[in-house]
Amino acid sequence: MADGGTGLLICRCEEVTQEEIEEAIREGARTVNEVKRRTRAGMGLCQGKTCRRLVERMVAEGTGQKLADVQPSTHRPPVRPVELGILATVGED
Amino acid sequence: MSPDAVVIGGGIIGTCCAYYLARSGVKVHLIESGALASGASGACEGNILLWDKQPGIMLDLGKASAALFEETVPHLPFSIEYVKKGSILAIERREDLGAVDRFVRTMQGEGVPCQTLDLSELRQLEPNLAEDLGGGAVFPDDAQVQPMLAVLAFAQAAMDHGAVIQPCTEVKSIVVSNGQVAAVETSAGRIRTHTVVNAAGAWSKMIGQMVGVNVPVVPRQGQIVVTEPVANVVRRKMMEAAYTQTVESDDQSLQIATVVEHTESGNILLGSSRQFVGFDRSVDMDVVRAIVTRAIRFFPCLKGIHAVRTYSGLRPFPPDHVCIIGEAESVKGFFVATGHEGTGIAFGPITGKLIMQMIAGQTPDLPMEKLSPTRFGRPGSPAASGANAR
Repeated sequence: MADGGTGLLICRCEEVTQEEIEEAIREGARTVNEVKRRTRAGMGLCQGKTCRRLVERMVAEGTGQKLADVQPSTHRPPVRPVELGILATVGED
Repeated sequence: MSPDAVVIGGGIIGTCCAYYLARSGVKVHLIESGALASGASGACEGNILLWDKQPGIMLDLGKASAALFEETVPHLPFSIEYVKKGSILAIERREDLGAVDRFVRTMQGEGVPCQTLDLSELRQLEPNLAEDLGGGAVFPDDAQVQPMLAVLAFAQAAMDHGAVIQPCTEVKSIVVSNGQVAAVETSAGRIRTHTVVNAAGAWSKMIGQMVGVNVPVVPRQGQIVVTEPVANVVRRKMMEAAYTQTVESDDQSLQIATVVEHTESGNILLGSSRQFVGFDRSVDMDVVRAIVTRAIRFFPCLKGIHAVRTYSGLRPFPPDHVCIIGEAESVKGFFVATGHEGTGIAFGPITGKLIMQMIAGQTPDLPMEKLSPTRFGRPGSPAASGANAR
């Protein structure tokens, strides 16, 4: 947690605070993906389903972009966590 | 103010070039079309391996770069999660252990620390490996970094030495005057310079075409599966011994070489595929299934662990499996640093240092002939088409 910060968690899975995300934006992150690379926000179990919107808004506010112009994060399968044992048999008869 | 050199590409190669150039006093300006680490460097495993390098120039590059990591990591502005955790090579069938042992002796002869392991020795080091494998080998010096942090750290260190790092800037054209680089036209205006470094990874062929220099790299896709964070499934990097055959293969079809490893955050990375699908970065679930099935073959306990994400990166694949580092013959001041395929993170520091040495007029640490882009000839020449045909 940054000194004097509130410690407010934005990404609960990876325990990333508001201050850490603000710092990443100050250091030049202009997209949700860039915030993620710098802080791990959105890299956890829920893959950003909880924090994505908040991070988008923080990026918009911190960089002066319109919310609609902020590049959304990349979505990749699976949509929710899947056991590897099940993934190994997807599509098999 | 005109910089002495413009580096094109904000992945590990570009940022390492910027770092070594800035550190030696060269005024350097790095431009990146998207964000730092948004290409292959942000979609890989962060491997720093020696075992998979062919003796010769590739192994020499690997050794030199591994030493540079050890030297540089303590001076970077923040942690890049560098761990010298070692690699485990595993084979399925006991009959192949003789071949592994011959390989281990060759690598020992090359000065690479390693040791053959029978099945019980193998499972002593990695207790979660399947009971019915054939044995393997250990390479204790192999290391790992978090690749995105590595790119950001080299970029920050370059800036600390005076480099300018400019993301969201596209190269429109490169101005050549009397056979010498004169300027780079970008989406953010013209930058006058006499030196350009093409470190655009899978996209470096297009940058070469702007000045008529043949850089015959094509994108080769690699997919990776990420699991939830769990404790101690695998202590080192575990790789199937067929990994090098897969990477060295020219086969156009899908290739899978099993890699299982923890990251510092506890997630396990399962890799990886090699496939030529153009610039497509979407994930193919058939490939995911093949990767996961193979990983479970080696670590049966993975079955109950959850996958949280899959991703793919485009590795810059050179036709002869040797990376391309050097100055073009036809355009003075046009340097190429690309074609590292799956070993870009590992070769980042040595590539940056060699590029710096050539630009600063120093004697490079390694012989550059085999790495030079001049080996491909000009576009349309017999050498060029021969290289492309492979």
